[in-house]
Amino acid sequence: MRRLPVYLLLDTSGSMKGEPIEAVKNGLESLVGFLRQDPFALESVHLSIITFDREVHNILPLKDLESLILPEIVTPDSGPTHLGQALELLCELVDKEVLKSTPDQKGDWMPLLFIMTDGKPSDLQKYREMIPEVKSRHFGEIVACAAGPKVDDQLLKELTHIVVHLDTADSSTIKSFFKWVSASVSTGNRSMGAGGDVVLPPPPPQVNMVI
Amino acid sequence: MANTIKIKAVDGTDIEFVNDMIGQGGMKDVYFSPDKTYVVAFFRDKQDAVAKDRLLTITGTFYDRIFKQAGGDYWKDLYCWPTKVVEWNGRLGIVAPTYQKHFFFQTGSRNNDFLQIKGKEKEGKWFASAFHQNKNLDPSEKGDWYKYFLICITISRGVKRMHAAGLAHSDLSYKNVLIDPVSGRAAIIDIDGLVVPGKFPPDVLGTPDFIAPEVLATRHLPKEDKSRKFPSIQTDRHALAVMIYMYLLRRHPLRGGKVHDADAQKDEELSMGTKAVFIEHPTDKSNRPKLSQVKPSYFPWADTDKLPYTIAGPYLKQLFDRAFIDGLHNPSMRPTADEWENALVKTVDLMQPCQNKTCEMKWYVFDNTTAPKCPFCGTPYRGQLPVLNLYSKNPKGMFSFENHRLMVYSNQYIYQWHLNKNISPNERLTADQKKPVGYFVFHNGKWVLVNQAIPDLKDMDTEQEVPVGQMLEIKDAQKILLSKEDGGRLIIVQMVNN
Repeated sequence: MRRLPVYLLLDTSGSMKGEPIEAVKNGLESLVGFLRQDPFALESVHLSIITFDREVHNILPLKDLESLILPEIVTPDSGPTHLGQALELLCELVDKEVLKSTPDQKGDWMPLLFIMTDGKPSDLQKYREMIPEVKSRHFGEIVACAAGPKVDDQLLKELTHIVVHLDTADSSTIKSFFKWVSASVSTGNRSMGAGGDVVLPPPPPQVNMVI
Repeated sequence: MANTIKIKAVDGTDIEFVNDMIGQGGMKDVYFSPDKTYVVAFFRDKQDAVAKDRLLTITGTFYDRIFKQAGGDYWKDLYCWPTKVVEWNGRLGIVAPTYQKHFFFQTGSRNNDFLQIKGKEKEGKWFASAFHQNKNLDPSEKGDWYKYFLICITISRGVKRMHAAGLAHSDLSYKNVLIDPVSGRAAIIDIDGLVVPGKFPPDVLGTPDFIAPEVLATRHLPKEDKSRKFPSIQTDRHALAVMIYMYLLRRHPLRGGKVHDADAQKDEELSMGTKAVFIEHPTDKSNRPKLSQVKPSYFPWADTDKLPYTIAGPYLKQLFDRAFIDGLHNPSMRPTADEWENALVKTVDLMQPCQNKTCEMKWYVFDNTTAPKCPFCGTPYRGQLPVLNLYSKNPKGMFSFENHRLMVYSNQYIYQWHLNKNISPNERLTADQKKPVGYFVFHNGKWVLVNQAIPDLKDMDTEQEVPVGQMLEIKDAQKILLSKEDGGRLIIVQMVNN
């Protein structure tokens, strides 16, 4: 059985403290709960979580859904948003963890990447350096979620054409974002349309898709 | 509290639903009626006039064709067939009966339902995967092997009936069939995508794992291209074969070790499409599972040497060969749903309960050897095993062998369809015909057949008639007449001793 590696990059900078980060924690819990109830996802999805603020941590190393335990997420009171550095760690992890096909062995599915942030990358130069690196890793899909009014959608669009904008970073919008992530990850065994490729499900109504 | 919405269906009848979505399918949002006896499901996307016409036909003409015939009620348990078309706020929807209670998990997963699936639908995928069977499902949800044969019979029968009406399901998969291994029941759902050749073209290609090779191989062609293949009755036959294989053997017949491309997506398309090879192909062994690459949680089912498809018995082996070897890339060779139903019914007569009380599968198919043993736990059969070879009376009055055998076990019932070749165990049976007519029991060290309702029962060796209420001892090489009528059966006993 091929694995479907799913990487979540979550902004834990100071501005996320309080309601937004609580919503992220709840969102993660329901994401895992939802995917565990889907026999297809349960057999294939492996989850990895990277948090970024001043520091970058792989708080959940790539793990199958069945046995993973969601780690504690903490936010500093204030500080920068090192998204560039997070992407660097991501690339290292992908190189190390994602199984490539060889003539003798089937590899993993192309990994999925979801990024959620409420601010601008503080390490802008690093961020721009990492963009081509991330793109060369062949993700199946990269979805960036811009939560709240302070995010610069244009900067995220340099990384991916799928930028979802949440007008506010409150619990209900963040919840709907995680619901949408669940739906995207579990489309694997849905019926395929007669038209073309499998596409992402439509985003929830509260979310604006920036394309 | 969510409010109740009252609308009129297209046919003018009243429909109510609680405005609180209970679930989302691939294309529809689903709501309960206030009494939860039916659901209303609205398409999320705008549907065109063709789609509406299709739904009206499915709920009208096709519904009548299947349900409004003699014995039509039989099918109500086998399908979740949409009954009405509705429109609300510009969205098109259907009304369908609520799934029956046994199709929802009672216990769910192991360890106090650690996955929290209690109360969720028993989607077939849970049971078609060795991983879920081994690691996740609570033992009380799993049923025994016999039940999976009953499930496959029901699914085959349901598909057969649709095909007989000229309809193709077009998206048969373990997602669109609910099964209950506890009782051995199954129901086909998501019928709104029905394809009628020449009238309604398909709007889905099917679900990965079940899409026929020719459909995947031609999906890059434009829709108008003559060589493009779409779901049809023939592709349903592929999906049905895959489903039966998966429910009985808990692995996919085409998912083996062969790598066709370094890109996972392309590899997938090739290994399910143009380059598909049966993992148990007798001569082309290129796609055998590579056991060193399989996780322990998939054993022993992943091991095709330990549990080859031949454990499903000779009748099914023949059909699997046709489905996955001869007919894999040659759709006209594929077995029909009717053939699957018959082969499965005959296979049930070959089944023996495992003598190991703790055997997980509890049943196995007699392998035609003189030293049968359970392929799952390895327990050999001990004692006398009567094998009944069935012969039936042809119009010339001769009895000819039918390649149909019945393995006897204690407390096994026999039915009308064992007495006469012209009676088949299917939806056309009357309530009377479903009653057993006799049973076998191992009594005081002897095998006997107790006659409950076989008027013609006679031991042909001794010319002794056995009236109803009496019993007959079963011996090796004995000839027993079950019915004098046309198609009536004669048994020749073979006693296997171990």
